[in-house]
Amino acid sequence: MSVSKTVLCIEDDRFIGEMYVRSLKKAGYDVDWVVDGNDGLITARNKSYDVILLDVMLPERRGTEILDALRGGAEDLIPNSKVIVLTNFEQDDASRTQMQKHADAYLIKAEITPKKLIEIIRQLDALPPPA
Amino acid sequence: MPHLIRDFWPVFRRGAMTRIILSQIVVISVVAAILILTNTLPVSSMVLWGIVVALFILGILRGLLISHFSARPARDLLTAIIHVAGEPTDKTFPNPNDKRYEKNGFKIALQTIYELSGKAEEGVIPAPDTTQPSTAMATITAPAPHVNSDSLSSALDATTCGFVVLNHDRTVSYANKAAPIHIDAENVTTLSLVFNGQDTLESWLNDCDEHAVHAEHIWTRISDRLPEEEGRRFFDIIASYDKGSSHETVLTLVDRTSTYDISEQDLDFIAFAAHELRGPITVIRGYLDVLEEELGAVLQPDQHELFRRLTVSANRLSGYINNILNTSRYDRRHLKVHLAEDTLAGIYDTIKDDMELRAHAQNRLLSVAFPADLPTIAADRASISEVLGNLIDNAIKYSNEGGAINVTAEVKGDFVEVSVQDHGIGMPGNVVSNLFQKFYRSHRSRETVAGTGIGLYISKGIIESHGGNIAVRSEEGRGSTFIASLPIYSTVAAKLASGDNSNEGLIEHGNGWIKNHSMYRG
Repeated sequence: MSVSKTVLCIEDDRFIGEMYVRSLKKAGYDVDWVVDGNDGLITARNKSYDVILLDVMLPERRGTEILDALRGGAEDLIPNSKVIVLTNFEQDDASRTQMQKHADAYLIKAEITPKKLIEIIRQLDALPPPA
Repeated sequence: MPHLIRDFWPVFRRGAMTRIILSQIVVISVVAAILILTNTLPVSSMVLWGIVVALFILGILRGLLISHFSARPARDLLTAIIHVAGEPTDKTFPNPNDKRYEKNGFKIALQTIYELSGKAEEGVIPAPDTTQPSTAMATITAPAPHVNSDSLSSALDATTCGFVVLNHDRTVSYANKAAPIHIDAENVTTLSLVFNGQDTLESWLNDCDEHAVHAEHIWTRISDRLPEEEGRRFFDIIASYDKGSSHETVLTLVDRTSTYDISEQDLDFIAFAAHELRGPITVIRGYLDVLEEELGAVLQPDQHELFRRLTVSANRLSGYINNILNTSRYDRRHLKVHLAEDTLAGIYDTIKDDMELRAHAQNRLLSVAFPADLPTIAADRASISEVLGNLIDNAIKYSNEGGAINVTAEVKGDFVEVSVQDHGIGMPGNVVSNLFQKFYRSHRSRETVAGTGIGLYISKGIIESHGGNIAVRSEEGRGSTFIASLPIYSTVAAKLASGDNSNEGLIEHGNGWIKNHSMYRG
């Protein structure tokens, strides 16, 4: 019996968050949703998720800081998770490159639909775990 | 035929000499004949020949002296004109302050010439020491004259306007303090200006060299540094070109930093505004996708069609926001393309569904056929899909119901050329030449078709950032064909690998990196 995959959605926009949560749940994922950056960081560290959906413009703590705290140090604090950065904000080149370095995917929210997002999660899932 | 003013004088002098000698021969012959015929002196007399020779020499000398004296003002005027015209010459230019000219009143005539040519200060100001010829002014290649007056030069240094003078070799012969120049270790002064696209000072000067005698050109919003650098300034530049002059090109640079800096902030505002606009679009696109699937069974066929229209509209809106964002980045020179090996078909696949949906919703016949053996290209996937989207979107906009739109590609030299052809309303020639300008929309289309007018502008920016070119063939009433060329990957692979281009996209390629953020469009 396969355990359903777990997803953490860190997203402050209610409509967008609900949309992803609804679709992911329908697709069989086990989803937790937090709406601010601090909770996001704490939750991500407390439980090992298969996938973390990370917004950039978040209250309390930006997505950039969260990703840096989780993966910027010497040790990867979330080695078993795939991180998908989801943003509608046009970051400058430097900070975007920095995030891309630590993330497994970097997507513009307006460019994808929940269906596409699920496709990408499946695609990432099919990848061999990092060596 | 002499082409220069200075060529006149030797011809004139030769003519004068010939006349003096010929007239002298005539005079001598007449004198000799009278002396012989009146039997004053016999032909064999040494005295006769002595008189003839003496008279001849004296006459020549007299003629030369008179012609020299009487032609002198003419010669000075001519020399002055030669200098004013900027012809190379080794003659000293007549100094109006010369005592001689002051005495005989010729000074005013010389001054008038210099004043008429706007060279008054150069003619009047030089030190009285006329033994030192001002060859600097006369010879084009020598480092040219600085402004000879301290007060003028300090006045120029006090303005916030930059003034730069280039000579024929395009070296900087004068620059005031405000001018954006760079002086290297070998004391060579160069202009530091970052021009937009292909409309550079150099290309304009090349054009002037070939086609113009006098020309003017204006550039706006030209910066002296790259965006990241400190103390960046913006200028509007007015250039005037005067062929053959010792100061062939004069640039006036008006510092507009304060104005354009504010618009930099405006552009930041665009980034925030886009963020706000994208939020609702995310939800609209997302739920349309979800709902169409969930309601699939209960929707009537015409309701499905309505759903498609909603989807198409939301997708287009999202595309326009990307256009606006990229334009603001391009204008700030923040638009970076990350070139990676890719196939045209692969790039088109990312927007295929969206394009087919759009064509279908507006009843156009979209046919896309790329040859299977097309080589790979060096492209930024997100940007090129945006260009293809823009071109196809235009083809849909400017064609008629049921019209065919053909997208094809072929190899041309080192490039792959993509063509998007429609059979729509087309454009007259005068429209074509303005087509790639920002906010440009043809007169007629303004009334009948909605749009922002930046799609082609940013498409051109993106294609040129790839090292390619975008062109259009159009015939009014027959339709238009847009052709964009992109470099074949193998022709630029070595350059990309050496890191000459911003090509981070090449790195993480093999291990499932999903990098291009517009990759999952629609």
